[in-house]
Amino acid sequence: MEGLIAFWSESGIANFTPGQLLMMGVGALLLYLSIVRGFEPLLLLPIGFGAILANIPNGGFTEEGGLLYFAYHVGIETGVFPLLIFMGVGALTDFGALIANPKMLLLGAAAQFGIFATLIGAIGLNYVPGFEFSMQDAGAIAIIGGADGPTAIFLASKLAPELLGAIAVAAYSYMALVPLIQPPIMKLLTTESERQIKMEQLREVSKKEKIIFPLMVLGLTILFLPAATPLVGMFCLGNLMRESGVVDRLSSTAQNELINIVTIFLGLAVGSKLSADKFLQLETLGILLLGAVAFAIGTATGVLMAKLMCKMSGGKINPLIGAAGVSAVPMAARVVNKVGLESNQHNFLLMHAMGPNVAGVLGSAVAAGVLIAVLG
Amino acid sequence: MDSISEQMIEALGIMLLGMGLVFVFLSMLILGIKLVAYKFAPQPIEHNEPAEKRDTGSAQGVDPLMVAVITSAIHQYRAKA
Repeated sequence: MEGLIAFWSESGIANFTPGQLLMMGVGALLLYLSIVRGFEPLLLLPIGFGAILANIPNGGFTEEGGLLYFAYHVGIETGVFPLLIFMGVGALTDFGALIANPKMLLLGAAAQFGIFATLIGAIGLNYVPGFEFSMQDAGAIAIIGGADGPTAIFLASKLAPELLGAIAVAAYSYMALVPLIQPPIMKLLTTESERQIKMEQLREVSKKEKIIFPLMVLGLTILFLPAATPLVGMFCLGNLMRESGVVDRLSSTAQNELINIVTIFLGLAVGSKLSADKFLQLETLGILLLGAVAFAIGTATGVLMAKLMCKMSGGKINPLIGAAGVSAVPMAARVVNKVGLESNQHNFLLMHAMGPNVAGVLGSAVAAGVLIAVLG
Repeated sequence: MDSISEQMIEALGIMLLGMGLVFVFLSMLILGIKLVAYKFAPQPIEHNEPAEKRDTGSAQGVDPLMVAVITSAIHQYRAKA
């Protein structure tokens, strides 16, 4: 009988708190979104499962000695996982479209306004009773507007580790929701005739240009923004491995096996931050709200900048591609392509949108560097 | 409330600084890309292309045998399947 009581007192049923049940529900929701709806499954699936594991009473996954504790400690607290992912993303990224039309960098820069506007929004939220975001918290929340998961996780782990779970979930959820969030804003800010603009075919880019590009980006970062070198440096390393063509094995490892392994543990470790005591707070609601605003503003400023460039170039640039300036590669570019096709069935904007899209990755890495330099 | 206003001003400062830096940084990158393009853009490659084509042309001179071999191989394979 005593054994039965001891068994019962150790069981999950006897130890559940309502918060844990709710967070398991959140984990299950993330699993549903990834499996049934196909929203960013590569990340939401491990994050959702991590959330369930992290809320098991007496499971001890997130306590010292537990698997998730170590995954977080080793990979995220140190910033190693997001950086390894960034190397993989660099190895996956073809900068050809950007090198052929470098002006697109301006769109990637304009869309970063979402980040800095949200910084003000987060501080403004302090006027509402119950919110107390420090400047560091605000900076970490604002980076959600960069629409770049690894950058958001990296910055949050440096500036506001206690908010990391909410920030990562917000960043990835909104990236998954790009096809829903962006089109209304894009259509609101452009006219039908602007959406129909066809763009000139991009010129060819030589191999030398592609090899020099990551080195040049690295050089500029070293000179002007050393705080961004962890992110930009790993990104450039990945890209150089890809473009140099002499280390195909390393390049393929970085963009396949390595990024996959890291993604599993990154997702689990982020999910472990979704424990009831840390996630179920008013602040989380504020973060989710600010994240959506950040995305919307970034999209809007990108489109507005593209409109300006359209006017200046005498109507050669389709303003829709500005929306791709919020990284979220390659989802945002695909959305641009889709909205463009709705206006003109023969207008394929995908390649043109890839330019601002990869520019957005660089832009948000630079913005993250600025935030680290100023607030870190 | 005052401290929040101060924070707001600080945030505004970071916004201006941040956007300024992002634009300056990426603008310099534009200049850099243009410089590199000026030096290494594919025009010289276009000049080289005729030469390469001539090369492939001479290669094609040898090719018919290989073409015949491959064609017959394909035929045999298809016949088997």
